Amino acid sequence: MISLSAVTKKFADKTAIANISFNANTGEIIGFLGPNGAGKTTTMRLILGYLKPNQGKITIDHLDPIENRIEVLKKIGYLPENNPLYSEMIVSDYLDFIAKIKGVGSAGTVADTVGLKEVMSSKIEELSRGYKQRVGLAAALIGDPEILVLDEPTSGLDPLEQEKIRLLIKKIARKKTIIFSTHILSEIEDIANRLIIIDRGRLVYNGNKPGGRGGVEKLFKKLVKSL
Amino acid sequence: MINLIKKELSYYLNNPIGYITVILFAVFSNFLFVKDIFLVGSASMRPFFGLAPWLLMIFIPALSMRIIAEEKRTNTIETLLTLPISETQIVLSKFVSILLLVMITLLLTLGLPISLSLLTKIYLPEIIISYIGLFLLSSSFIALSMYFSSLTKNQVVAFMVSAVAIFFLLVLSTDFLSTVLPKFIQDFTNYFSPVYQLQSFVKGVVDLKSIVYFLSLTVFFLFLTVIDLEKRS
Repeated sequence: MISLSAVTKKFADKTAIANISFNANTGEIIGFLGPNGAGKTTTMRLILGYLKPNQGKITIDHLDPIENRIEVLKKIGYLPENNPLYSEMIVSDYLDFIAKIKGVGSAGTVADTVGLKEVMSSKIEELSRGYKQRVGLAAALIGDPEILVLDEPTSGLDPLEQEKIRLLIKKIARKKTIIFSTHILSEIEDIANRLIIIDRGRLVYNGNKPGGRGGVEKLFKKLVKSL
Repeated sequence: MINLIKKELSYYLNNPIGYITVILFAVFSNFLFVKDIFLVGSASMRPFFGLAPWLLMIFIPALSMRIIAEEKRTNTIETLLTLPISETQIVLSKFVSILLLVMITLLLTLGLPISLSLLTKIYLPEIIISYIGLFLLSSSFIALSMYFSSLTKNQVVAFMVSAVAIFFLLVLSTDFLSTVLPKFIQDFTNYFSPVYQLQSFVKGVVDLKSIVYFLSLTVFFLFLTVIDLEKRS
């Protein structure tokens, strides 16, 4: 479904990610782990075709995300880092707008799925952080995309809200490929069925998550030199 | 595209800034025209079309300054560019939404020719052609302002740079320059002045050269805006 082969991305002289390769298949929930500035967001933006790699090849369902940008983006639901939203819009209008741009007519039942029913007629700027995150997640889910790319979906939320978002991701995971980044190690243990760790732009681990409580943390501390 | 145009238009229609800008343009253009109409001694719309580009120099950058700069500041540009819509569609949608607003604003000035027609006999085709010229001039100013809005995250910077760029285009054919520049340079600078190109429309002549000038300017700046979005700068 998603394939990265020896992908490198540079910004001027700075190498953001170097020679990264991995695959992601249907039904997988991949936890993307790394310290700040490791290259997680850059990798996600490359998958979406938002950025162009300097070297290497990326395919989404055998399609190049740069050459087939529109077709690829129809397959992906994306929640960007910090969840940028049109804050002046009403939630229902925003979701309708996203649905129409995605060419699916209406937002359908995603508002119910993510628990937005009671705030549908509120302005986005008036919502709590947790609800804003749900709006971003709902927008990503519109059109029932085959792939979900979620950049720190629980960032800045209180533990209760984090738990709700995690449950939601688990609920929608079937028949989808999900890649999510996080700083919260326990989140990987809870949701992911595969783990990718990058450090200073290099892939340092790609495999099953270690078993046992605290296994992810031990592995992370062992592999990540920039901590 | 229609959905993005609707979204952009609804921003202006649900926001006092949109109304204030449109009303200010209508009030200023009507006032400045009516103020001198009895002094000039001839009932003509030509003074209005001479004045309008200078007012549009402020009005269009004020409407366009947020159009991409604000998306970059709040990073909603990433949301937009990761939806299945092309950069060209995004730029054209935003362009059309401002163009529609400018058309509404120009409609608000129709009271002038109507009032004038009550006082004297007016030549309607000349006025219609003049409005077409003003519409083409506006479209080129919008494209230019959008481009400068795409270069920054700061709306005020976008406004200032656009207004200054339009000002330089407007002064290219002013009397001041004609007194200091040699004739052959003057011919050259005139060609690049929107005021000079608008003159044929104001005289009631549809000049193909002027149409090509305004359309080229519009396409050129829209193209640059698309390139800027594609660069993800």
